Formats: sequence, structure tokens, C-alpha cells
Amino acid sequence: MYRYDEFDEQMVRDRVAQFRGQVERRLSGELDEDHFKPLRLQNGVYLQMHAYMLRIAIPYGQLSSKQMRTLADVGEKYDKGYGHFTTRQNIQFNWIALKDIPTVLEELANVEMHAIQTSGNCIRNVTTDQFAGATAEEIEDPRPWCEIIRQWSTFHPEFAHLPRKFKIAVTAAETDRAAIRVHDIGLHMKHNAAGEVGFEIIVGGGLGRTPIVGTTVKDWVAKDDILDWLEAIMRVYNLHGRRDNKYKARIKILVTELTPEVFTKQVDAEFEAQRDEEKVRLPQEEVDRISDYFKAPAFETLPATSAAYEEAKANDEGFAKWTETNLSAHKVDGYTSVTVSLKPLNVAPGDATSAQMRVLADIAKAYSFDDLRVTHIQNIVLPHIKLDELYNVYLALDDAGLGADNVDLASDLICCPGLDYCNLANARSIPVAMEIQNMFSKYDRDLGKLHINISGCINACGHHHVGNIGILGVDKKGEEFYQITFGGRADEKARIGDIQGPGLRQEEVTPALERVAQKYLEIRQNSDEKFISTLERLGAEPFKEALYADS
Amino acid sequence: MSSVRPKLKPATPKVVTAWDASNGFTTYRTPSGDWTQNVAEAEVLTHEAADEALEAAKKDQTRATDPYLMEVTEDGKVTGRETLRESIRAEGPTCHPNYGRQAEVN
Ligand code: HEM
Ligand code: SF4
Repeated sequence: MYRYDEFDEQMVRDRVAQFRGQVERRLSGELDEDHFKPLRLQNGVYLQMHAYMLRIAIPYGQLSSKQMRTLADVGEKYDKGYGHFTTRQNIQFNWIALKDIPTVLEELANVEMHAIQTSGNCIRNVTTDQFAGATAEEIEDPRPWCEIIRQWSTFHPEFAHLPRKFKIAVTAAETDRAAIRVHDIGLHMKHNAAGEVGFEIIVGGGLGRTPIVGTTVKDWVAKDDILDWLEAIMRVYNLHGRRDNKYKARIKILVTELTPEVFTKQVDAEFEAQRDEEKVRLPQEEVDRISDYFKAPAFETLPATSAAYEEAKANDEGFAKWTETNLSAHKVDGYTSVTVSLKPLNVAPGDATSAQMRVLADIAKAYSFDDLRVTHIQNIVLPHIKLDELYNVYLALDDAGLGADNVDLASDLICCPGLDYCNLANARSIPVAMEIQNMFSKYDRDLGKLHINISGCINACGHHHVGNIGILGVDKKGEEFYQITFGGRADEKARIGDIQGPGLRQEEVTPALERVAQKYLEIRQNSDEKFISTLERLGAEPFKEALYADS
Repeated sequence: MSSVRPKLKPATPKVVTAWDASNGFTTYRTPSGDWTQNVAEAEVLTHEAADEALEAAKKDQTRATDPYLMEVTEDGKVTGRETLRESIRAEGPTCHPNYGRQAEVN
């Protein structure tokens, strides 16, 4: 894993010391909230409905066991014994007292973590495929490039005051698990005709008030040129992005208003105009140095199958069922990647207790080369587990309440905090999510892959636009209503879902979705046809009818 | 409901609510100008008196953050357009009965 150099470390420590002073001045009344707010936001501190919230960056979603243990400690010492993993591959603590935050940030700095660039109009945490470095699908490990981009963007003076926040995601696999088409910039590592690895650049995707699927502005650029291209894109955005209207300030609006063609021309012109001395030429040694941190761990040479694994499956039905949903193919024989579902029933999706975080840390240390990943679906991945040891891992997880066998099924939904926690919310999302999970848990498996995403307002933190079924909370005269969309997806065929009609009352949502699910079971070609495929084959009409059958 | 709170009529009974500056908890202004976590202890006001209390609260920066006026019944119970939001602020998250003020009361 990437390790901070001394410079990074000093900078983070200086920042914490500076923030301690700012907090003291806020609490003594020297600083009023209007002046303090931008300072706290720059350090990841939000004020939610009930308390301060601290958002901690987890660069490209990767954690060591030591870091996970520190998060567990923070949850226990300063919060209510839990943390909330988010769609931004971050963690949020919902109940932290302001006076404790500088100390928390110090404890985090001890394990090379921080809350910088988790807020504000800067380039945010770079995200990637949770199976990076483990999946057989990728053409190379995207994480060195995430790290290179992180270093280039951190405190880049030109990009500290962008018109709006800016999110970059990178993947090196054809199956897009990083939702690159709904980010400000999505980078897809791929081969050109000559077989060299470079980047496809997708710009202008995003969710929120104006959901847009990004456009490919460059089919392929060489690795050597990627930072220059990013710089050219950022310059065009910085110059022409709308600063007058917050809702029109994201790059997606600029790309749409200019048209992708004109935007691309401007980027080309900016790229051409870069003088040689301006080019960000990364010396190969530097790329190698960074890549070294992501070196594959010492995998053993193992047979592709494991007798111990097969035997455990034959003897333990629960384990066998879990393996059907929670495993992903590993590039090395005898290994698998495990997704630990943070969506058991009756828990807010994405919450994990400190005790659970410690179990995850222990398992990662003992069985997964000290490596953990946070996914944008709000789950945790143990990327490198030996098949021979998988049953032990499962038993330890299950013992800690982490054995939910529902990855990618309807109950594995994405859900934002909604009105229970969030000051911007129009409606609650967690209770709706829990009710849906309870209903679908009865025949999850029968339904197969189905992504349900819920947001409590149009900011779309719960990615509702790209759920196969999306649910958006709205407020009608003080009452909660939920607008349903069908047909969204966040993968390589990214698409924004279509609103089906008038919003439903809270108590109508679960029965209506149950009718939709029953309709799907009735009209799918066979059990291999996923919900989204049936929908794409037949259109939304039959599902819409089922949705409103009761009204 | 969003982050912008609705405007209230002068005659509507209201209390001043804010966030405790040190821990972010929901807080209400009492008749003595102190702050309480218990909405039942808040001072119910109308007309100019409410506006004046809000102005005073805005100057109480060391204790209260982002104060605003919230609608209540004459006897100080959460009511009106934002009943759901304000009940959640008063009690705690509905999905976590163990957190927030509701945990201490129940
Ligand atoms: C509760 C505190 C939170 C607040 C106040 C908040 C606020 C916001 C706002 C204002 C936006 C819209 C920005 C824009 O479109 O320009 C946004 C977007 C977003 N938030 Fe949150 N959020 C919160 C929690 C979360 C959580 C818990 C998650 C993850 C589960 C999350 C994930 C996201 C994502 C992914 C977006 C980007 C949507 C896009 O692509 O435009 N947020 N958030
Ligand atoms: S989508 Fe809205 S309600 Fe949900 S967390 Fe984001 S800002 Fe809050």
C-alpha cells in the first residue's frame, strides 16, 4: 500500500495543529460559525441533524488492518461504537464532538489517514474498482495511477478553488465497478491498437440535480500524457465552468452547454498550447516507485480448486449459499475475493460497529495480506483470500454478524443517510431501505441481481438515478413521498433511470416494489435473465403498471 | 425540506432552536436565555419577541450554531410543516432508537 513520505506526513500534521487552533477559537467564541464553517469543511467536518459528522478519506477505498483498527477505536472512543461506510468509499462518524475532532485527526494521522479534500470545491478522493490488484479482468493495476493522480491533485494550487467539487474514478477492467461514467472524470485503462496500455477519458458524468452519463472525449491517450490531459481538462473547466450558479457549476453542465465536441476541441487546444516545460513528465523511476507500493503480495502457487473448500461447502449449507453471492474471481489460482456485505437486515446500510471493524482487521491481517477495500456499494472487500482458508474466514465473519449472503441482490441496496441524519434531506431513506430489505430477503435469490438505490433528496448521495430501481425521497407539504425510477445502471452500460410517475407514500413503496418484483418473476424469459435485462427487453410499461396497480 | 427553513407568520408560536456549538446536538433557547436539549423547556414566543430572541441567539456564538425559529404549538410541542424533521431533530434518528435524546428519555 502507498505510504506517505515525510513531506505528506508533515503537511497532514501541520494541518491538524492548525485545525486544533481553529476549533479552540470557535469554542471560545473568537471565531463565529460563518468564519469557522469553511475551515471545518476543509477538514471533513459537517454539521448534520443531531451532531457533527467527520468524513475521513480512504484513498481509492483501500485500508490496512492497522487503519481499520484505528477507525474502530475512533468509533468507540469518540462516537457511539460504530461508523458508516459511504458510496464515496469513505467512512463517516455521525456523533463526534467538535472538541474531540483535532485529537481524532491526530490519531488518524498516526496511521496515515486524514480528512483533507473530503469536502469543498477541490478534487476529491480518487476512487477505483474494489477488486483492483485482485481481479483477473483488469489489464493492469489501476491503483498506482489513482495515487499519481492523488499526488498531482492534492493541494494543486490551480485546482484548490474550482467552480465546484470534482470527482475522478479509475478502472482497468471492462466490467465497470467504479461507476466511471457518472463521475466528473472517468478513466478507463485499456489497450490501443498497438497493444499499449493507456487511458480512455470520459468527462462530464454526474448525478445530483442534473444527472448525466459522461462522454468519451479521448478514446485513448498514452500514460505519459495523462496528467497533461487532465490538466488541460481542468483548465478549460476552471476558465469556463459557471461560478455564478452552484447548480450549474459542475463540469457536466459545461460539457453539455458547450457540447462534447466543442469541449473536446477546447481541451485539445489547451493540450497543444502546453509548452514543453509545462508538461508534467513523470520520470519512469517515479512511476516505478509508486507502483512498487502496490506490488502484488506474495501469492502462493496453489491448485485452482481446494478440497477443504469443497468439503466445507458440502457440509455447511449457509456457507455454500454465501459463496454463491459473496465471491469474485481472483487472478491467482487458489484465491478468491470476498465481499463482506454491510447489509444484514435491520441495520442501516453501510454501518459497521467497532467490534465488526476489528474482526475485519483481524481477518485481513491473518488471511488477506493486510488489505481491505471499501466499495461504493457500501460493502467491504477482503481481496485476497485463499480458498483453503475461506471457510475459516466465513465462520469468523458470520460470528460477528457479517455473514449476510446478499451481495448484488435486492437487499444489497445503496442508501444515503436521509432525513434521519442529513440536514439537506427531504425524506427518510434508511427506514424505507430496511423495509424493502426485509420484504425482499424472502426471495432475494430468486430475483437475482437487482440494484436498488435510495436517496433522501436530489443531491443523489444514494445514487438513485443509476439504480435498476431508484427511489428518491421528496417532500410534499411536510409529508414524505418517494419517486420511483426504472432502468438506471452505473456499470459500463451506464444509464440514468426514468421517472415512472407520481411519487408514492412511504407505506406504499414496499408493496409497490413487491408487485414489480412479482411482475418480473412472471415475465422474465428464464432465471438467467436479470431484472435489468427483462426491463430493457420489454420496456418499463409492464413494470410501471405493476408499480401503480394499487392506485 | 432542504436546508432553507420556511418563513413563519408573526403570530405563530415558535421557539429558537440551534445546534450546540461544542457537540452539535439539537438545542433550544430557554426563558433565561440558556440552552436546553429538551424542547419542552424552551421558551415559546411570537411576534417581535421571537425575532428578538433569535437576534440574541445569533450573538451567542460560543454556545449556539445557526439558530432559527421553529414552529410549535402554544404549549411548546413540535408542529407544522416541518413536524417530521423537527421531531427527528428533537428525538434522534427514527432508525436508531438507541441514539439521540430519545435514548436518554426512554
Ligand atoms: C449527511 C451528510 C451529507 C451531506 C450534507 C451531503 C451533501 C451532499 C451534497 C450537497 C451533494 C450534491 C453536490 C452536487 O451535486 O454538487 C452531495 C453529493 C454526493 N454525496 Fe453527499 N452528503 C452527505 C452524506 C453522504 C453520504 C453518507 C454519502 C454516501 C453514502 C454521500 C455520497 C455522495 C455522492 C456519491 C454524491 C455525488 C453525487 C454526484 O455525482 O453528483 N453523501 N452530497
Ligand atoms: S442525498 Fe440528500 S438526503 Fe441523502 S445524504 Fe445526500 S444530501 Fe442528504
